[in-house]
Amino acid sequence: MAPVSIRLDRVSKRFDHSVKGEVYAVREVSLAVADGELLTLLGPSGCGKSTTLRMIAGFEEPDEGTILIGGRDVTHVLPNRRGIGFVFQNYALFPHLSVFENVAYGLRVQGRDEASIARAVGEVLELVGLARYDRQQPHQLSGGEQQRVALARAIVFEPQVLLFDEPLSNLDAKLRVEMREQIRELQKRIGITTIYVTHDQEEAMAISDRIAVMDRGSIVQQGTAQALYYRPATEFVARFIGRTNLLTGRVLGVSGNRVEIEVEGQRVGWLEGKTMAAPGDLLRLVVRPEMIDLQPALPGDPRCGTVMSRTFLGEKTDYAVTLGSVTLQVSASGPSDLPGLEVGRSVTVRFRPEGMHALG
Amino acid sequence: MARTQSASWRRVAADPALLGAIAAVWILLLLFVLFPMAHLLERAFVDDGGFTLEPLLSSITDTSHQAAFVNSLILATAVGVLGTALGFLFALTAVRGGLGRHWLTALDAAALLPLVSPPFTTSISIIFSFGPRGFITHDLLGLTNVSAYGFWSTALAETLTYFPIAYLTLRPILAAIDPNLEEMAFSLGGSRWRIFRTVTLPLAVPGFANAFLLLFAASLADFATPLILAGNSFPVLPTQAYLQITGLFDFKGGAVLSLILLLPAAAVFLLQRHWVGKRVYVTVTGKVGQRSRTRAIAPWASVVLVAACFAVAAIIVYFYALLAIASLVVAFGANNGFTWHHYHVIFTEGLPAIRDTLIIAAIGMPLGGFYGVLVGYLIARRDFPGRRAMELVAMVNYALPGTIVGIAYLIAFNDPPLALSGGALIIIACYVFRYSPTGIRATVAQLQQIDRSIEEASSSLGAGSGETFRRVTLPLIAPAFFAGLGVVFIRSMTAISATIFLVSISWTLITVRILENMTEMALGPAAAFSVFVIVVVFVVVAGLSAVLARLRAPTAGATARSFLGG
Repeated sequence: MAPVSIRLDRVSKRFDHSVKGEVYAVREVSLAVADGELLTLLGPSGCGKSTTLRMIAGFEEPDEGTILIGGRDVTHVLPNRRGIGFVFQNYALFPHLSVFENVAYGLRVQGRDEASIARAVGEVLELVGLARYDRQQPHQLSGGEQQRVALARAIVFEPQVLLFDEPLSNLDAKLRVEMREQIRELQKRIGITTIYVTHDQEEAMAISDRIAVMDRGSIVQQGTAQALYYRPATEFVARFIGRTNLLTGRVLGVSGNRVEIEVEGQRVGWLEGKTMAAPGDLLRLVVRPEMIDLQPALPGDPRCGTVMSRTFLGEKTDYAVTLGSVTLQVSASGPSDLPGLEVGRSVTVRFRPEGMHALG
Repeated sequence: MARTQSASWRRVAADPALLGAIAAVWILLLLFVLFPMAHLLERAFVDDGGFTLEPLLSSITDTSHQAAFVNSLILATAVGVLGTALGFLFALTAVRGGLGRHWLTALDAAALLPLVSPPFTTSISIIFSFGPRGFITHDLLGLTNVSAYGFWSTALAETLTYFPIAYLTLRPILAAIDPNLEEMAFSLGGSRWRIFRTVTLPLAVPGFANAFLLLFAASLADFATPLILAGNSFPVLPTQAYLQITGLFDFKGGAVLSLILLLPAAAVFLLQRHWVGKRVYVTVTGKVGQRSRTRAIAPWASVVLVAACFAVAAIIVYFYALLAIASLVVAFGANNGFTWHHYHVIFTEGLPAIRDTLIIAAIGMPLGGFYGVLVGYLIARRDFPGRRAMELVAMVNYALPGTIVGIAYLIAFNDPPLALSGGALIIIACYVFRYSPTGIRATVAQLQQIDRSIEEASSSLGAGSGETFRRVTLPLIAPAFFAGLGVVFIRSMTAISATIFLVSISWTLITVRILENMTEMALGPAAAFSVFVIVVVFVVVAGLSAVLARLRAPTAGATARSFLGG
């Protein structure tokens, strides 16, 4: 199958709200997904990500904007003429049909002959690891198995693109991790252009080539997981993806492309690139907990934080450290019983340069 | 909003199957609902090409019509109150009486029997029991010169016929009241009577209102019972309208009278829809049987309840036994010798009526079932301009008293371009558009339990709306389809109020033959016909229930119940 690209150009969807009047569910969303790419729409519930996906599938029609799949304008094309595989949150298996017939459905609609249907269904069930399940009824399957049938059904007719609407949210945590790996592996193997909707940032980071973060109907940032994590464009993205410290810092001085930063009157490190900054400027800073290093303070050093709590979590240890009026979340790998970092002790705080990011 | 409208138009236009279905339904609704109603109004209000209220005014100032109007209301109120009380007795016993499963089934059967019987069944039995040579009045009590006709016998017959509606309405509501609530009040030290008064009854109030309105409407529209039992002393509107047309050939007078009947009927319909309609459609759950017996009703009280119920059930069974016996004796009360003669009569002389009825029912059943499912699907699932209007118009013939519908059809289809009078088509159309709304509602209810994403999945897999409907939706709403079939069939076998205006020399109905037999005092064949209808209905319903059970649908139980709700 030849994978194709998806393009959305200023797509909007409004609806009438009984209290608020006309509300935008999706507002001027523009997106481009490359051939074979897996893009995730990530955001909290009600941010418009599912509506966007449903417009791409054709279940909803945009009020404005255009949608192109493989260069063809499908904005007003019915869902059954779009050649899209869709995997639903609740699986949406046909309850009156067996596993085989569920998967065969799209092929039967195409009017394929019995032998090629049997072959294709057999292959795809093999692919999702349900080779011997063809005679089962959907209600006899577990949630994970049902979702794999839904996946098989969506890919068997070789659609141009694959869409997932929170496919794993009804599964338990362990199965979720397993399934997302399977989905990613399968997507890469058949090289199909895919859009994946989820509200789970960890899932998004694990599965995506690229992530588009949505908030209140608009895309606020697109990029790789690393870009979103270390260089969020807004406070919303910074808070939504991973744990974060949001701080106000002051520029102490600029030398070359290094900008010295202090927080609460303490020199905490420097960041690179903000060369337009002048001494005395205030910056909004995003610092991830694992990008902060703690050292036992030297005796008599006044520029220190205080350890307020220490929590051993296995592969890492979390600290809460007060620095003036702010409380920092700090996460350190390694043993939890390092001397000098006990609760109540004074510590010096250093932000690593690659882990410090200024907003705006 | 305008943009949304045009978007939904575009959607419809892009989907030929959907467009075709919507157009087809609207053409049918125009032809068989709006067109006849328009004709009825025209006949009543247009004279010599101009609008006039004169026939209406002269009709409502006519004292005999005023009497009929008042009588209709009195009768409907009496039936509403008595039927609701009786229905509540049965519902309370079924839910709180602590009966075993088999006893419950027996009680259900006795309660539901009248709903699936031809309209004169109770009337015939009342005449056999309380008539001049009645089994009870003459044989047992030795009375002479008694009359079985008038208000009380009509009210009794209608109450026994229609109280199952109240039972079906109230039972799920009482079942939905958590016994723990009553238990808790009991544990707080309330007396049982106090709990019943302050907890149980108030919770059932919407149910009472709804049951009363449904019974009121049923009695108001009932034509067959008063025709037999009311006699000259107690004229009511539907029979007056009928006599105006069949006796005096006064179509205009009949049209006007039927429209006067429309007034209270419409009031009740609107009240029911807006006041209680939404609150009482509680689904029947399987919980009742699983709950432990509640102590909220004193042991002696449940004994009284059960006894009262079985007394009523015994009366019903007695009426039906009487009917069966009367069909097998020469002349009930006068000559009780055994004979097959009445059955011989109905299968020879009466054969055309039986054949016609079965043909009409057999054709109407699949048409009505499919129409109900299609309309239910369109209004529950598809978004298109005029959806609400379609829903409303589809309910019109169902909500109107049969007399109005019958007269409207008679007037509308008597002349070209649509001279359908005298044929089978007009009778079938009447049944389909009058009794399919049960199937429509069952379909809507069923679709509300099926997630939309299942249909979206089909559509994303390449199936158009027609193919999705056929391959996915239709199999999933099969229970509603069969329920729709069942109701159309039952009503095709038992209804008379509308179709009595539509029969002809070439096409007639069993129910009409029963009426003719009754007026000729040929009670034996009338009884035999009734027994025949009951047996056929029972066999078909049992067959459909078996199909439903095989479908293993989770809502099959509730749907089977809805056979009888129409």
